[in-house]
Amino acid sequence: MALQAIAFYLLAAVTIGAGLLVVTARNPVHSVLFLICAFFSAAGLFVMLGAEFLAMLLVVVYVGAVAVLFLFVVMMLDVDFSALRAGFVRYLPIGGLVALILVVEIVAVSASVASHGAAAGAAVLTPSHDITNAEAIGRVLYTDYVYFFQAAGLVLLVAMIGAIVLTLRHRAGVRRQNIAAQVARTPATGMRIVQIKSGEGLSE
Amino acid sequence: MTPQLIVTVLVLAPLLGAIVAGLFGRRIGNVASQAVTTGLLFLACALAWTTFASVIWGGWGHFTVELAPFINVGAFHSDWAIRIDSLSAVMLIVVTSVSALVHLYSWGYMADDDSRPRFFAYLSLFTFAMLALVTAADFMQLFFGWEGVGLASYLLIGFWYKKPTASAAAIKAFVVNRVGDFGFALGIMTTFWMFGSVRFADIFPAVAAHAGQTWTFAGHYWAAMDLACSLLFVGAMGKSAQFFLHTWLPDAMEGPTPVSALIHAATMVTAGVYMVCLLSPMFEYAPVARQIVTGVGAVTALFAATVGLAQNDIKRVIAYSTCSQLGYMFIAAGVGAYQGAMFHLFTHAFFKALLFLGAGSVIMGMHHEQDMRNMGALWKKLPITYVVMLIGTIAITGVGLPGLELGFAGFYSKDAIIDAAFAAGSHNNSTAYFAFVISVIAAGLTSFYSWRLIFMTFHGHAKWGAAAATHGVHGDAEPSHDAHAHDDHAHDDHGHGHDHTPHESPWVMLLPLLALAVGAVFAGKVFVEQFVGEGRAEFWRGAIFNGASNHVLDNLHVLPAWVVWAPLTVTAIGFVLAWYVYIAKEGMGAAIAARRGPLWTFLYNKWFFDELYDATFVRGAKALGDLFWKGGDQRLIDGLGPNGVAAVSALIGRRTGKMQTGYVYHYAFVMLLGVAGLLSFALYAWSK
Amino acid sequence: MDFYGALQVALPEAFLAVSALALLVLGAVTAARGAILVSVLAGVALLVAAVLAAVGPLGTAFSGGLVADNASAFAKVAIYAMSAVAVLLGAGWLERLKARQFEYPVLILLAAIGMGIMASSGDLISLYIGVELQSLALYVLAAFRRDDAKASEAGLKYFVLGALSSGLLLYGASLIYGFAGSVKFVDIAATVHAGAGTGVLFGLVFLICGLAFKVSAAPFHMWTPDVYEGAPTPVVAFFGAAPKLAAMVLFARALADAFSGAADQWRQVVIIIALASMLLGAFAGLVQKNLKRLWAYSSIANVGYALVGLSAGTREGYQSMLVFMVLYMIDVTGFFACLAALNRNGKPMETIDDMAGLMRERPGMALAMTAFAVSAIGFPPFSGFWAKFFVFKAILAAGYVQHALPVGLAVSVAVVGLVSSVVAAFYYLRLIKVMWFDPAPGAVDAAPADAKGIAYAAALFSFPVVMVGLPLLYPLAGVAAAAFGLG
Repeated sequence: MALQAIAFYLLAAVTIGAGLLVVTARNPVHSVLFLICAFFSAAGLFVMLGAEFLAMLLVVVYVGAVAVLFLFVVMMLDVDFSALRAGFVRYLPIGGLVALILVVEIVAVSASVASHGAAAGAAVLTPSHDITNAEAIGRVLYTDYVYFFQAAGLVLLVAMIGAIVLTLRHRAGVRRQNIAAQVARTPATGMRIVQIKSGEGLSE
Repeated sequence: MTPQLIVTVLVLAPLLGAIVAGLFGRRIGNVASQAVTTGLLFLACALAWTTFASVIWGGWGHFTVELAPFINVGAFHSDWAIRIDSLSAVMLIVVTSVSALVHLYSWGYMADDDSRPRFFAYLSLFTFAMLALVTAADFMQLFFGWEGVGLASYLLIGFWYKKPTASAAAIKAFVVNRVGDFGFALGIMTTFWMFGSVRFADIFPAVAAHAGQTWTFAGHYWAAMDLACSLLFVGAMGKSAQFFLHTWLPDAMEGPTPVSALIHAATMVTAGVYMVCLLSPMFEYAPVARQIVTGVGAVTALFAATVGLAQNDIKRVIAYSTCSQLGYMFIAAGVGAYQGAMFHLFTHAFFKALLFLGAGSVIMGMHHEQDMRNMGALWKKLPITYVVMLIGTIAITGVGLPGLELGFAGFYSKDAIIDAAFAAGSHNNSTAYFAFVISVIAAGLTSFYSWRLIFMTFHGHAKWGAAAATHGVHGDAEPSHDAHAHDDHAHDDHGHGHDHTPHESPWVMLLPLLALAVGAVFAGKVFVEQFVGEGRAEFWRGAIFNGASNHVLDNLHVLPAWVVWAPLTVTAIGFVLAWYVYIAKEGMGAAIAARRGPLWTFLYNKWFFDELYDATFVRGAKALGDLFWKGGDQRLIDGLGPNGVAAVSALIGRRTGKMQTGYVYHYAFVMLLGVAGLLSFALYAWSK
Repeated sequence: MDFYGALQVALPEAFLAVSALALLVLGAVTAARGAILVSVLAGVALLVAAVLAAVGPLGTAFSGGLVADNASAFAKVAIYAMSAVAVLLGAGWLERLKARQFEYPVLILLAAIGMGIMASSGDLISLYIGVELQSLALYVLAAFRRDDAKASEAGLKYFVLGALSSGLLLYGASLIYGFAGSVKFVDIAATVHAGAGTGVLFGLVFLICGLAFKVSAAPFHMWTPDVYEGAPTPVVAFFGAAPKLAAMVLFARALADAFSGAADQWRQVVIIIALASMLLGAFAGLVQKNLKRLWAYSSIANVGYALVGLSAGTREGYQSMLVFMVLYMIDVTGFFACLAALNRNGKPMETIDDMAGLMRERPGMALAMTAFAVSAIGFPPFSGFWAKFFVFKAILAAGYVQHALPVGLAVSVAVVGLVSSVVAAFYYLRLIKVMWFDPAPGAVDAAPADAKGIAYAAALFSFPVVMVGLPLLYPLAGVAAAAFGLG
């Protein structure tokens, strides 16, 4: 148990520290890298809870896709981050004060709750060892939670439509691949047999 | 038709007329407006007489029609209702008869006016309010009618609103009445406090039980019933133009003459008397309040009669006469002879309306001249007017033979009051005895000024004609540079275009005069037994309450002979004096006026009441108003209130507008501030 | 409940989802030519969904994730109907812009699904998904005119701040889940009734903050003026109406179904938000010159009034809130329809000064806008008066009759509400004054029939139709309010 406790506190501390550095790092590329670090630590926490599937999902989706996308965007766009940060010091005192208040309140509540025996009514879930993580999720995702699954699908659909509506532009003069036309090509339309007289060649 | 339906139609018909003429008058035209209002009024009048006959001699009995709830809050209940009993039946015929005749009369009198629909709408509105007042079954509707007639009176006095004096008179009438109404409202509150109800039907049976109730204020015990009745009487004083609150009535003569006849002679001003009679169950248990009523009535009777001696405006003389006669009515009510008060109210309505309408006829005939000094010898030119005015004067002076019990209307009612005052006074009631003495003196004065009016107007030398255009220059009038004299020249704005010879009025005006003249002659003889005589118990049937020890009316027949003959004697003396001053030695009156003796000045200036009020209340109120207006309102209230608040609001608006910088991180920060604030509040509030 | 039964309960949303997909395909195939057809079909689909919601079976489906009860039916009918109006308004607008984009009605359709999910959410997951589905569609709609810098800015601001609020919402939801042990409202309610721990309530505050953003209540209102001003007017007409009702019903549902045991606690927080909203909406509106911004502040103040009804925490309070929102939705849609209809020389009239002399130029439109302004003041017998009347009656009754909260507090809330109405009356009256009495600078273009029709219909509803509609609406809202699980 001691080992587990050590692992938990380590991972938790790294998550929070990395999160802090995401916000404070001067170089935006560093920020993204710290973000990846935070994701990894969070994945570790999932593993400790016995939720290996979610941990892998976090790594694959967030680290593999989202964070890398961030990295691309940050490196490709020439954003003047120093200008964006100009107000940072100016707003630090009051921002810090608000943050401090929030932290104090969260800690106070946590302490108060912990002293009353943590989360009442919430029994600790013990992961079942009979079936795998993925199977457990799969069993409920398309039955009990089909509604949420479909609704989430709609959210993604909206995101897709939004991306298209806001960014797709039809420029004139762009050649596009017309698959139907390609497929419909037959030898009759695709080629022409010409008798060439020797020494003359084709006129065109 | 059921009795309920009849009385409902009766009360609402004038309102319908007022609505039609008031809202659609311009569309349907003058004649239609006049026809609708007058027609409905005559309908109401016919129904009123039907009701009166059925209630008094038929089998209707006393009943109340509840139309709709009015106010229903907690223990306070008030309904729109029509209460029919002998008392209200009498008022119904008085109000509707005079009103109908005045409507008819106005066809002629107002023929040249541009806004006749408005005039007729106001008249009908007034009639409706007056009917609501007299048929009220509780204090709230009484108050509604009270204020309704006040409003109509205000509108009608100021009918020629472009005339500054008329507007001022209207405002004066309204403001003075407010003083009375304040007392009235306090009286209603006191009554409600005592009885827990404003319904007469609840209050009257409970009066005896509350008779000894007291109210502690400023360390003294006050008899609650006396207090309530005194406060209610303050309201009556305002409406009936009694001493101290009388100043508005003479000025109200700025209104068109039919209005003066209807409102300021026959009906509205008698509302106070009616109210005291209606509340006789309460007043019977309020001895102090009754003393006050008697005293104020007596002082008014004398005061108004003396002032009437020295006035020159024909309408003002009659106005002071009205004031004086109302004093008589209050004397009667105060000594316990409520029936006598109602009787005088009834007969007075006829002959006073007659006098006013007759005066209106004279004014018309004289091309809107109201100053009696510029009249004279009109009897040949206006014979019918002269005859009816003569009848009215005989009636008001109360001429009749006590031995034969034969006389004009005023004879029965006024003598009944004088006798009642003596009867009460002989039972160790000094106030009543004082009232008796006063009323006899006032009867003489009444005779003098009434005949003075007749003589100055219809007899003597004609002061109109060639010199009429420059009135005031004529030798027998006092110099008219006097400010008050000038006031008295109050002209209606719209003169006639034709020549300046006096002429008799059209028949549409004379007919009402003749009808009223019939009333002025016979109303007394016909009704004396029912109102105050042997048949009174049968007539009133409990509508008026007389306490167990109140035998005033029973004692009327056992009076010494000198008391019975005294009124006639002083009346004759007054007549002879008037004849001597204004006929035998014509010019003597003008000479007295020209000398400007102290007594004459005192009377001419109406005991200097207007000046007194102006110096104290008007100036004082103005100074106080200035203090609160400039200091309190403009600096304090406006500065801190509307203007200050507006400035602060705009400032807050600008500040919050500035918060809207447009930067997302500012917005996000405000959101986080909100989260932190709410969390802190929640932790603070929930940890308690 | 088997899947078929569950599908029946979810029929309105399922129908809309299928319609959205079908219309997407139809639009993609027909492109610009079919844009009008897609709009018409989307409108029809929304109306059909409204009918389905009204007549469909009630019940709970998908293990408590979707609750179809009288409250959700009431809200959905209103939401889908108002969305249909927005489709109509938007179709005409796009047509006039020569920008025939079929995505617009489809996005409204998808937003409507989100709102339907919100209105009938039975646990924290559907709460969140519904909010996200609706919000994401709205972000896109706000920036729909991507070539307009202001619209893009509005969309981006809305998106960023919306993400922040979603974060708050999720943080609250996770706290609640952590401390209550369930995401289902019924389970949470049981836990809270057994004794609400500080942790759950802490999560509740975050949840309230997130929802307050969605209804644009102070101090989470900052996005509103900018987004209202920047976004296209027909989109704002949509923004201002249906999503507000959906968020309000969700708000009511979360507080009543899950936290009725902690009513005394959340009431205090909601009252603070309500007071802040009413006062801020009233005062900040004083200095606004742009009508869309002005109506944004007006919407903040009006949400404050609706929250007053919510904070009463009684059935009557919920009923008054529903009535308030429905009446308000109609007024606000009508107002923005007016704005969408009014152009001067091809330029939209958006500031108060632009409205000068409208009474002489376009008396019909001016009368309609006057009706909306008068109604917004709360002048009887216009609908706005009744809306406020019921709300204040409910909060006072909660104090005096039900003793749900201290009488002093109830009276103070009502007094602040009245004071803020008085302050706000200034800017509404100024609009009326400018329209009626100021000289007109130039001719106003003819108003398009669709926007004009909507504006007139809404104005007529504001008065006198409301006098007939209210006796029907009020008891219906009462039935709906009874469905909430109030203690």
